[in-house]
Amino acid sequence: MSSNGKPKIAFFDFTSCEGCQLTVIDSLQDHPELLNVVEIVQFREAMTEKGEDYQIAFVEGSCSRASDEPRLKKIRQQAAIVVALGACAHLGGVNALKALHPLDEVRKYVYGDKADWYETYDARPISAVIDVDYAIPGCPIDRNEFISVVKALLLGKKPPIPDYPLCVECKLKGNVCLYTKGQVCLGPVTRAGCGAICPSFGASCEACRGFITNPNDNSMREVLIEAGLTVEDITSIYTMFTTYQVREKIQQKG
Amino acid sequence: MAPLYYSITTEEQNVSLTILSKSAFQEFVARLLPHYRVVGPVPHDIGYSFEEIQDVTELRMEYPTTILPPKKWFLPPKETLFKFTRKNGGVIQDPPETPPTVILGVHTCDLHAIQLLDTVFSSGQYDVHYMGRRKKTLIISIECLSPCDEHSFCKDMGTLTADEGYDLHLTDLGDSYAIDVGTQAGADLLQNYSSSSVATKEEIQKLNAVINAKWPKFSYRLDFDVSELSSIMELSMKSPLWEELGNRCLACASCTNVCPTCFCFDVKDEVELDLVTGQRVRNWDSCQLDDFATVAGGHNFRASRALRQRHRFMRKGKYILDAHKHLGCVGCGRCARACLVNITPVSTFNELYRQQETGSH
Amino acid sequence: MVTIASYPQMQTGTIMDRDIYAPGLGTIVNIRPLTSLEKVFTIQLPEGQSLGHRPGQFMEVSVFGIGEAPISISSSPSRSNGTFELCARKVGDVTTALHNLKVGDKVGLRGPFGRGFPYENFRGKDILFAPGGLGLAPLRSLINQVLDERNLYGRVIILYGARNPGELLFKDELKAWSERDDVELMLTVDRGDEAWTGNVGVITTLFKFISIYPRNTVAITCGPPVMYRFVLMEFIGKGISEGNIYLSLERKMKCGVGKCGHCQINNIYACQSGPVFPYKEIKGLEEAL
Ligand SMILES: Cc1cc2nc3c(=O)[nH]c(=O)nc-3n(C[C@H](O)[C@H](O)[C@H](O)COP(=O)(O)OP(=O)(O)OC[C@H]3O[C@@H](n4cnc5c(N)ncnc54)[C@H](O)[C@@H]3O)c2cc1C
Ligand code: SF4
Ligand code: SF4
Ligand code: SF4
Ligand code: SF4
Ligand code: SF4
Ligand code: FES
Repeated sequence: MSSNGKPKIAFFDFTSCEGCQLTVIDSLQDHPELLNVVEIVQFREAMTEKGEDYQIAFVEGSCSRASDEPRLKKIRQQAAIVVALGACAHLGGVNALKALHPLDEVRKYVYGDKADWYETYDARPISAVIDVDYAIPGCPIDRNEFISVVKALLLGKKPPIPDYPLCVECKLKGNVCLYTKGQVCLGPVTRAGCGAICPSFGASCEACRGFITNPNDNSMREVLIEAGLTVEDITSIYTMFTTYQVREKIQQKG
Repeated sequence: MAPLYYSITTEEQNVSLTILSKSAFQEFVARLLPHYRVVGPVPHDIGYSFEEIQDVTELRMEYPTTILPPKKWFLPPKETLFKFTRKNGGVIQDPPETPPTVILGVHTCDLHAIQLLDTVFSSGQYDVHYMGRRKKTLIISIECLSPCDEHSFCKDMGTLTADEGYDLHLTDLGDSYAIDVGTQAGADLLQNYSSSSVATKEEIQKLNAVINAKWPKFSYRLDFDVSELSSIMELSMKSPLWEELGNRCLACASCTNVCPTCFCFDVKDEVELDLVTGQRVRNWDSCQLDDFATVAGGHNFRASRALRQRHRFMRKGKYILDAHKHLGCVGCGRCARACLVNITPVSTFNELYRQQETGSH
Repeated sequence: MVTIASYPQMQTGTIMDRDIYAPGLGTIVNIRPLTSLEKVFTIQLPEGQSLGHRPGQFMEVSVFGIGEAPISISSSPSRSNGTFELCARKVGDVTTALHNLKVGDKVGLRGPFGRGFPYENFRGKDILFAPGGLGLAPLRSLINQVLDERNLYGRVIILYGARNPGELLFKDELKAWSERDDVELMLTVDRGDEAWTGNVGVITTLFKFISIYPRNTVAITCGPPVMYRFVLMEFIGKGISEGNIYLSLERKMKCGVGKCGHCQINNIYACQSGPVFPYKEIKGLEEAL
């Protein structure tokens, strides 16, 4: 707690596009009152000073180098609450896509002939490295959800991150289902919370918020096959954001 | 049960039958607009939706069906029950009042569903939020003259016509509407805002012809009479069908979210950024979702999708009828349209019936 | 049906201007920790109103901003005195927030809700209580009611089980009951500790120590969901009739007034028709136990 009694929060970034931090800046512009209830002590995107006495750490980006690990562990030691901010930190995000290709290839593709200069390993969610209390899903995060998570944490309740499928929000909006229009969508297995923003604009949901706890994957696969997708299509849509989770599931199955 | 064919006798004419030409209807709606919030079916993407209209040209009275039922105007997907302050605790403000509203173009299946909801929210403990909106709303329904699509089974459920629940009920006669006046409020509305005329003998004959022509266009889709549904359900508690549906079901809740008779809800507190004031909100919930019946500590009283599907269909076919004397399903077919894995009431009810007929479980 | 008593004025029938979801306020006048997880809150209603509850009924308790949770009334009507008691276990958002409140703080209240125990019908009979864990909280209301009109009942037998000695609730009252010669109290824990000299084992292991006269016995249980089936088998094994067995069932509850659908057990709304049920009423319900 700072002398003014406001909890201190800090933002950190790892491998990411920084889109989630930009969303945070947007929410701060919409809701400057937020600064009446918290004090931000670190936020590279928005300020230069650095305070190390934070209670809540928001971590953006996936862990994609062995050298990220000590930094993450230090954050975990200091913060009472660690929140993964966005798909990269929550799921590994698009960064984990490279796990589908042999590492050397990825290195060459990304870094050209300087590949050997960079150490890299399979990108992973920060929860693969440290304990994470909560995740704000999404690529990028939803600004209202960010605010409501902050409010919940300040009140001492569980952040209201839904664990039901996106179809719920999509239906409540009265959308025509994309499948009716001959498109496909991962809504039935994807965690709601974004307000079904992609289907609302006619685009398929690609599960940037990750899967719900109990998705019916078999049935989802049947639906996608019925809609004309091949196994390759399904693999690629299923792993856009969730490569790490899909691999974990496969490993669990043996 | 509604009669298969009904005809309107000339005696009844004096009581209620009125004619409004289509252009006079347009005028009627236009005259309502300054005084009422007017809601009706409007095009929405490739479907239709009940929305507030600003102009009568937005209306599409000949729509097949809507994605969400008109229920949302009485029981919104999310609403504030009251505002509170955390300092000293307590309710500080009741929610705003609903403006007087007219809902146009409600089909008879939805009309039956609204009657069920009225019963649910007015009996036992009286729900001021639902009933507050309901009492401020006049319903102008419309008779379906052909099936909305292959999913509906209103004829089986006895909801293809209605003799109450509306303030005014329209039947399309081509260039005019025959209007059945259901309530005094409906009569006053017509009187004050329209230039309707009493139906002539020819018009009454025309109405009879239109109604008689309509019924054969609808087919029965249940293999049994709806009066047997409740006992079929009662005997199906242990049917193997539930397991099968549970395997297919995505637990996406689309079926319940589009259903005109579903009314389960969740209640949550939201707080403003001052962390002092806030509101208690209620939003639609669904028995199909994983943790609908999960209590603190993690015990889930309906942990499998199979049990949740069973609960849903039991509610539709039996529980609601037991508790509220109205069928829990009005045969609108919305859930069947919404389900990506083709779990439908017609196929479910028929399969349960078949299992009992053949003793196959 | 029992008539539902009133605070805030909640009645079946139609009072059309009152919001059934809007809580009234009560003031916490005492907080007594029982274990590391449970606290007893004594709550006073405004203007000395009495709650007018029946043992077995519950309140919907609000901590504004956090939410609302159903909590049984743990005190007996016989000791109401303008206050009542709730015993809450800290398990989630609302109960944690409740635990953080202090004497003098206000809570939101709706209720009392549900059907309680028809204890007038138990008069003249022996009563066998078999609460497990937190299940003592609601049964304590009835136990104290019975003890406060002790001469109207036959034997009072209480078999109480908890996971370990530290989790036994209301230890002072357990002690007082054990010292009375008109109460037969037996305790058990799933796992003992060094100091524990009593019975070790689940609650059903206590039944072999008691002999009852089944035709004149009312048996009552409340506890975690897994317990009911086993305790029920013991009751039935003792020859107690289904109409004389009462269970208080837990379900997820949101509204408490028969609307939200969360508490349904088949076609029954546990918040309205329960939480207390005679076994005879629910034994045919697939989802009950
Ligand atoms: C009739 C009845 C009597 C009860 N009596 C007591 C009692 O005397 N003492 C006590 O400690 N607990 C009692 N409980 C359990 C208590 O209601 C839950 O522990 C409490 O709701 C958890 O709320 P939470 O916000 O702390 O937990 P969270 O896990 O954060 O729950 C969130 C919400 O889910 C709902 N919910 C979760 N668990 C339950 C549950 N078990 N029952 C009903 N709703 C639930 C509530 O609306 C709750 O606010 C009773 C439950 C019922 C149904
Ligand atoms: S568009 Fe996607 S999210 Fe919306 S209902 Fe269809 S499958 Fe579900
Ligand atoms: S609709 Fe799907 S892909 Fe789009 S933001 Fe939401 S979760 Fe992400
Ligand atoms: S719409 Fe179909 S898949 Fe979704 S919950 Fe209902 S039955 Fe299951
Ligand atoms: S169950 Fe399906 S068909 Fe029946 S009323 Fe609901 S949405 Fe319509
Ligand atoms: S289900 Fe029947 S009554 Fe309802 S809209 Fe379709 S045709 Fe009309
Ligand atoms: S708790 Fe809402 S219906 Fe019982």
